[in-house]
Amino acid sequence: MVRSKLAIVAVVLCGVLAKPLAGQASGSYKAPRTWDGHADLQGIWQVRDTAAAFDLEDHGGALGIPPGRSVIAEPAGGKIPYKPEALAQRQKNFQNREKSDPLNKCYMPGVPRITYIDFPFQIFQTPGYTLIAYEYIHIYRTIFTNGSKHIDGLDFWNGDSRGHWEGDTLVVDVSDFNDQTWLDASGDYHSGDLHVVERYTRTGPDTLQYEATLEDPKVYTRPWTIRLTLYRHAEPNFRLLEYECQAYSDEQAKASR
Amino acid sequence: MRFRSTALGVSVGLLLASLPVLAHHSFAAEFDIAKPITLKGKFVQMDWVNPHSWIHVEVAGPDGKKVTWSCEALPPNSLFRQGWRKTTLKPGDDVVIEGFQAKDGTATIWTRSVTTPDGRRLFAGNADALPPGAPAAPKPEGKQ
Amino acid sequence: MRFQSWITTAGVVFALWLAPGAAAQQQQPARGHSTKRAGEPRRGPRGAATAASPASGNGAAPAFFAPGPPHVPGGPVRRLPDGHPDLQGFWNAANNGGAVFEIQNHPKPKPGVPPGMGAIIDPPDGYLPYLNWAAAKAKNTFEHDLADEPELHCYMSGIPKQMYVQFGFQILQPPGYVVMTWEFMHSYRIIPTDGRPHIPDNIKLFEGDPVGRWEGDVLVVDTTNLNDRTWFDTVGNFHSDSEHVVEYFRPVDSNTIKYEAAVEDEKVFTRPWRIAMDLYRNTEPNYEQMEFACIEGNQDVKHYTKDKGGAADVKLK
Repeated sequence: MVRSKLAIVAVVLCGVLAKPLAGQASGSYKAPRTWDGHADLQGIWQVRDTAAAFDLEDHGGALGIPPGRSVIAEPAGGKIPYKPEALAQRQKNFQNREKSDPLNKCYMPGVPRITYIDFPFQIFQTPGYTLIAYEYIHIYRTIFTNGSKHIDGLDFWNGDSRGHWEGDTLVVDVSDFNDQTWLDASGDYHSGDLHVVERYTRTGPDTLQYEATLEDPKVYTRPWTIRLTLYRHAEPNFRLLEYECQAYSDEQAKASR
Repeated sequence: MRFRSTALGVSVGLLLASLPVLAHHSFAAEFDIAKPITLKGKFVQMDWVNPHSWIHVEVAGPDGKKVTWSCEALPPNSLFRQGWRKTTLKPGDDVVIEGFQAKDGTATIWTRSVTTPDGRRLFAGNADALPPGAPAAPKPEGKQ
Repeated sequence: MRFQSWITTAGVVFALWLAPGAAAQQQQPARGHSTKRAGEPRRGPRGAATAASPASGNGAAPAFFAPGPPHVPGGPVRRLPDGHPDLQGFWNAANNGGAVFEIQNHPKPKPGVPPGMGAIIDPPDGYLPYLNWAAAKAKNTFEHDLADEPELHCYMSGIPKQMYVQFGFQILQPPGYVVMTWEFMHSYRIIPTDGRPHIPDNIKLFEGDPVGRWEGDVLVVDTTNLNDRTWFDTVGNFHSDSEHVVEYFRPVDSNTIKYEAAVEDEKVFTRPWRIAMDLYRNTEPNYEQMEFACIEGNQDVKHYTKDKGGAADVKLK
């Protein structure tokens, strides 16, 4: 009798004490709601895994480059599933990265790179529009949650974003990319056929799980998914400032004349 | 289609809508409103980039040599809302482009209008108006 | 056939500029002087067809007061659940006398700049109350340094110019904030309404540090920490990094906001001054703003000629 009661207590304690596995969207954390009943993703967020912006795959350190583990959750093995000719292009990009990385020209980073560069961004939710405002070169993305369709006939650096909710996950479908952006500073790239599906899920009071599935039949043999944790800025009165890459670059050019 | 498609033959009223775009920089520092030009040539390609689209046209000069002119136009967002599409002009199309020459003497103009092979006149840049006293558009430059 | 409802006063004024005599009808005092001209009535509400006309004007005078983009009359001001006015949606600046070209009164046409009254209501003659050195600098900039125009280099527009740039803007009101986004240069302003203090003075920003509050139905935005790298318009009217702006957004119906901005900058002006204009709701159904990249495709800088501060030689005479 005592043993079975102890067993019950043990089971109950295990259930109460179990924490959600890190890195997995867990059903056990219930995010607060916005007034229209959706999970509240609002706040100022930033990555801590700053190595991902340098290279999404496993990589050792180099001067100015922190070492890092792959953030690729699928496929297993942590490598981007390039087609053979695309892999050759990637290697070329890597060799020319000083000159060719669009970020070095103060160009827009594209999606998903804009999420994991080391600058904060702020999520706002209003009916029909979720807005993500990025400190980096004052970029904002309007994620239409009003059921509207992608624009047909233009392409954009950061794509065109249309979102909907799956439970407490904001799913954002991004298309209409140009082929000008990279995925990191090591030359990982895509074509204008890139299609990205992002998933934003609160996993705790100060954490947001970010997943992005990329498909591009011109460049990759299959879709692949990255997964990162975003952390909330809880400092009092923290706010986005400005990082005006082009203005700083112009100043430097003027000073060195 | 997200935006209502507009008839490509747009009215003068639309021209006025395009003028504020010039406010992002001073027209006078780059182009000469007293130097209008008309180019007749073959459409090569169009750069659908912000802040301004660029229409590239191959024009044969009086000496027969072919020169590619770059014609600055409205941002792609504006053109798109007016009904322009990437298929509106095709490489090799005969086009007539009216505009104002760049002061630096390069083969660069600010586009007033584009006339397509089937005779439609599209407005891609400035309002179709000249200041008092400016010369009328000269005869088409370049052979077809 | 529809076209964007962001046809601004500038467009209408430009067409009217072509009307003969439009340019000749006002006396212009020397730049930098804010003396009221004899017989000039005080500038009244902007945009009204009966707004003050110069006593000496000819029949073309009302052209400068053209009402601006098509305005769809609204109903009662909408409300958010917390009772504050719901200003969400798409808006265009109107009735500002071509401020985007030149913020102050500019009765004489300049190349590419049609004449207009600008947006200044105080001082009443509509001219910027420059200190002498600043008036000289503004004149010099227009004549020789147009290549320094911030927007030519894809910079954000600063305050208050951001409010009247082309293509309009969107207002969103998530809890605790009023957020504004512009297609032009993909700019945004995040205005907290929680009464927080400003950031330290040594951090200078293109759009400054805005802090908002509601006074009844009026959104009041106090902006400090502005840098000195923006202009008020395309012709070189400027400010220092001491600029301080207080803006007032007063909704009058569901499609109309009255906008005023009080600007002070002791380093540049003899006194504070104010602008006023209307914001009209863009009622086009399914309207969307789109991405507007700039640096990535900017080809204009290289064509600016040396006589305007650029690098290219003037080859056309």
